[in-house]
Amino acid sequence: MTEKEKYLQIRREAMWTGITLVVLILFWLVAGFGLADVDMKLCGLPVWAVGGTIGVWFFAMVLVKLLTTAVFKDFPLEEAGEEEQP
Amino acid sequence: MNGDWSQLLPLLGYMAFMIGVSVFIRYQQQHAGLMNNFVRTYFIGNRDLGGFVLAMTTVATYSSVSSFVGGPGVAWNVGFGWVYMAVVQVTAVFLVLGIFGKRVALLARKFDAVTVVDIIRRRYNSDLLAEISAFIIVLFFCATMVAQFVGGAKLFEAVTGYSYVTGLILFGLMVVVYTTIGGFRAVAVTDTCCALMMMFGIVMLVYFVLQTGGGYDNIVASIEARHPEMLEPLSGGKMPYGLYLTQWILVGICTIALPQSVVRGLAFKDNKSLVRAMLIGTFVVGFMNIGVNLTGILGQGVLTGDLAQYGGSDNIIPRIVVTAMPPALASIAIIGPLAASISTISSLLLVGSSAIIKDVYLHRQQRSGKAPSDKRLRFLSMLATAILGAIVFVIALTPPSLIWLINMFAFGGLETAFFWTLLLGLYWPKANKMGAMLSMTGGTLIYCLTQGLGFKIMGLHQITIGITVSLLLFLLGSYLGKPEEKDVLADFFPE
Repeated sequence: MTEKEKYLQIRREAMWTGITLVVLILFWLVAGFGLADVDMKLCGLPVWAVGGTIGVWFFAMVLVKLLTTAVFKDFPLEEAGEEEQP
Repeated sequence: MNGDWSQLLPLLGYMAFMIGVSVFIRYQQQHAGLMNNFVRTYFIGNRDLGGFVLAMTTVATYSSVSSFVGGPGVAWNVGFGWVYMAVVQVTAVFLVLGIFGKRVALLARKFDAVTVVDIIRRRYNSDLLAEISAFIIVLFFCATMVAQFVGGAKLFEAVTGYSYVTGLILFGLMVVVYTTIGGFRAVAVTDTCCALMMMFGIVMLVYFVLQTGGGYDNIVASIEARHPEMLEPLSGGKMPYGLYLTQWILVGICTIALPQSVVRGLAFKDNKSLVRAMLIGTFVVGFMNIGVNLTGILGQGVLTGDLAQYGGSDNIIPRIVVTAMPPALASIAIIGPLAASISTISSLLLVGSSAIIKDVYLHRQQRSGKAPSDKRLRFLSMLATAILGAIVFVIALTPPSLIWLINMFAFGGLETAFFWTLLLGLYWPKANKMGAMLSMTGGTLIYCLTQGLGFKIMGLHQITIGITVSLLLFLLGSYLGKPEEKDVLADFFPE
């Protein structure tokens, strides 16, 4: 990879990390406030209190897994031609 | 409880173990010849952190004693709305590593950068901006460290019955010692132990709270009967929408700019460690924040009076520990929150001393054509860490009220200072020195001023003002000032 390609890839990864944030915020809104008036119980708690906390946590881990497998690429962090120092 | 020395044994043992780890790591690094590049090894650990340690040290540094004491105390009073708000922190690890991790990793290898300030100096080609950054870091970090010391020592006093000063010496002096000896690598490894202790402490506390409160179903039923508003997201008005919004900004999104988090981007090994850290970190930060605040809520089954009766929300968690746990175990459980405090202090201490030694002293020496010997740098780096730690320790013995003011500014102040400077600097070629300078100084001043005066817009936390003003000033400066030199930009935005 050239330096420029590396930069573009990193920018792409950063952008998709930002998009992940937006998706997570939307999920947080729906799973918490969105379910606040639903008259249902989970583990003895109103459904929003589970969805908006543990639900958001699990969803975040799924998103990060997706993000890191689909977008993040492995490439050497050292500059081309430079040996890693001991 | 007072007078029984066996109460102190678990904590003493833990601190001795931390120092042992630090000495061992120092020896190991010396043996491997890494100390030949002392500054890099001491301040950034030779860039070889793996995913697990990277995740744990990022989370442990970020989680402070207030996440373990103050926060859950409020959760006890407010209910599930507080957990719903605290969960926004699951973004803290993957955002900073995803947005800045590789970017600074690549640049750091190119410039042999050891600090975040190194990167800022190169990007904006300004020694003044670098020294302002270093000053802001040292000032706010010192105040934060004092607050961590005080929080930890107060908790120690409340739970064990031993004096505040005993606590401060036991864990406070020790953390300064092990950070000074072992440097970054030791901080990362001890942070990992601390994060594990925090999780263990939470699990233990949940268990005893459930036991004392008569079981989960019983506690939830009692909350539903006595405080139904604790099961509503707005908590009967205690959790307004505006609070949710500002918490997203303050403890979620803007945390990516905290120098103590970004510096982790300079230290990891490769893509694999980064990706693993993002996943593990998200798991751990969620586990801790949900776990500890849920414990606070379940504490309703242990403490059934009202808030005033216990003397404020900071006293809730210590009271829960003392009431629910047998004394022998309480002295183990207290290691969790103290670990949160020391793991924050160790990292701040090291970044603070790197700002003094690397960003100010060493750079000035190099600029005037001097190259201090490695032996001298080794001596000065450790001395700076020890002195900074000692100063903070002494202030924590009798903290002046000014410290609380600065500490109140610290979190949002660091975010206001570094958010746009880093984000726009690293991804927007037009960002320039004038913009960064205006944004960092003007934004931070406005933030501290509005917070000091208690001035708010629409009742929102002042971070909204700070971050907006800082953005406007950045854009203004970038359009008024001249763009950076071509060769500087070429290093950052390769053609």
